[in-house]
Amino acid sequence: METVVALGLIVFKVAFLIAILLLLPLPLTWLERKIAGHIQQRMGPMRVGWHGLLQPVADGIKLLTKEDHIPAEADRFLFKLAPILALAPPFVVFVAIPFGESISVRGTEITLYLSDMNVALLFVIAVIGIEVYGVIFGGWAANSKYAVLGSLRTCAQMISYEIPMGFAVIGVVMLAQSMSLLDIVRAQADLWNVVYQPVGFFVFFVAGLAEAQRIPFDLSEAEGDLGAGFHTEYSGIRFALFMVSEYVIMLLVSVLTVILFFGGWNGVLVPLPPLVWFVLKVAFFVYLFMWFRFTFPRYRYDQLMAIGWKVLLPLSLANIIITGVAIS
Amino acid sequence: MSRALDRAGTWIGWAFFADLANGLALTFGYMFSRSVTMQYPDKEKWLPYARYRGHHFLKRDEAGEIKCVACELCARICPCDCIEVVPYEDENGNRHPAKFEIDTARCLFCGLCEDACPADAIALGQQYEFSSFSSRDLVIGRDDLLAKPGKAATGGGVVAARLNTQKDVLVETNEPRGYNWWRNIRRT
Ligand code: SF4
Ligand code: SF4
Repeated sequence: METVVALGLIVFKVAFLIAILLLLPLPLTWLERKIAGHIQQRMGPMRVGWHGLLQPVADGIKLLTKEDHIPAEADRFLFKLAPILALAPPFVVFVAIPFGESISVRGTEITLYLSDMNVALLFVIAVIGIEVYGVIFGGWAANSKYAVLGSLRTCAQMISYEIPMGFAVIGVVMLAQSMSLLDIVRAQADLWNVVYQPVGFFVFFVAGLAEAQRIPFDLSEAEGDLGAGFHTEYSGIRFALFMVSEYVIMLLVSVLTVILFFGGWNGVLVPLPPLVWFVLKVAFFVYLFMWFRFTFPRYRYDQLMAIGWKVLLPLSLANIIITGVAIS
Repeated sequence: MSRALDRAGTWIGWAFFADLANGLALTFGYMFSRSVTMQYPDKEKWLPYARYRGHHFLKRDEAGEIKCVACELCARICPCDCIEVVPYEDENGNRHPAKFEIDTARCLFCGLCEDACPADAIALGQQYEFSSFSSRDLVIGRDDLLAKPGKAATGGGVVAARLNTQKDVLVETNEPRGYNWWRNIRRT
């Protein structure tokens, strides 16, 4: 009986998480278009529903009913596999992400995480790396030069930015003496890591921007020079899968930034429920992503590489050394 | 000295992303500024200035008689040859148009007809919404031209509007042979 209840709880949590992650891109697209509109003194979507709130639903229906086109010369197997490969890892990563300690519902304690892995951080960084295969396969299988160029750029960009990203979190791990995300948050109960690790935060956030392929690092889908980059040839539901994956990764990077550097669900001053604090912080970073997108121009390709290798990598290495010296 | 200081300041600012922060502040300000979008045709629309050359209209004099004396000067000067006037004489011996048609599908809204008119009978108004599903509907007859709104006293502002529903638009669905664009060109 005990195991059945525990199992049922886990299944329920997984289903709940997947539903949230699948549905969240809808309001996020709406928000992004609204922010884009208002930054450019437009209004954004206004006509479907109140202030265009139903616009994402309309878009979703449109994408679902559109022709699912596969180019004649495409590698059909890889072409169909790529969106799934791009979508699955960001979802899998959320298995290791804690959203809070626990809440009690009618006497039973329910933990707000699926699993408390002792190597959660390693798991996250490893699994998120798989996502790049979806992008590379998608660009390669479409047999189109724009798509191939886009996926080549993504490949180089991911490799160059995952290294500083990995190094940047080492400082946090050293401070918390643990790779468990839960322990990392608990270690920040008094003072957030961003105070100890401003450089680590900076490197992590910039690398996260590159990882999520958002402006100013959205080289892989640069509309201006590549059509749409790796998903140029995708249409209909497969394109929608790429979009969902992009938004989930954006969310993931925000969540990770909050957990690693901004104290997770630890609040300051205002006593709010921990989950509310967490959501507020994540929302702020999501907003920051969108705000960046409509403020900054895109970096040139060589500048992207120069930032990755000449700035972020030395900074993250120096951060590790200085943290080590300071701790010992 | 001051130049060196300037340069040092620039470098310090650069290292702390002063330029990026400036950009962010600018877009943040714009984010909460009033948007310039006019919600046409849902809520509001633009009423053009009085000098705007929109849909033609024919004027009446104080007695309510049509001002046009059917001199056909407008038809002569029209570069697109899109006005057709057929005169008649009423019981007082005054000439008036029996038929006055403007093919707005061909009209280029140059306003020459307004300038040429000796009787100040024709003018171009501010109305600009007269698209149609059939080009035949764009041939406007005399009575329609008389009924068109004249110049508004004001202009250059936003007025409340609402989307024209389908029933306001004349739809010609059964056009058996297609519209003959050259029907109205008179060979001289
Ligand atoms: S506006 Fe110009 S083109 Fe149009 S009817 Fe008058 S003269 Fe002809
Ligand atoms: S509108 Fe003016 S120019 Fe044209 S026929 Fe009448 S009086 Fe003559």
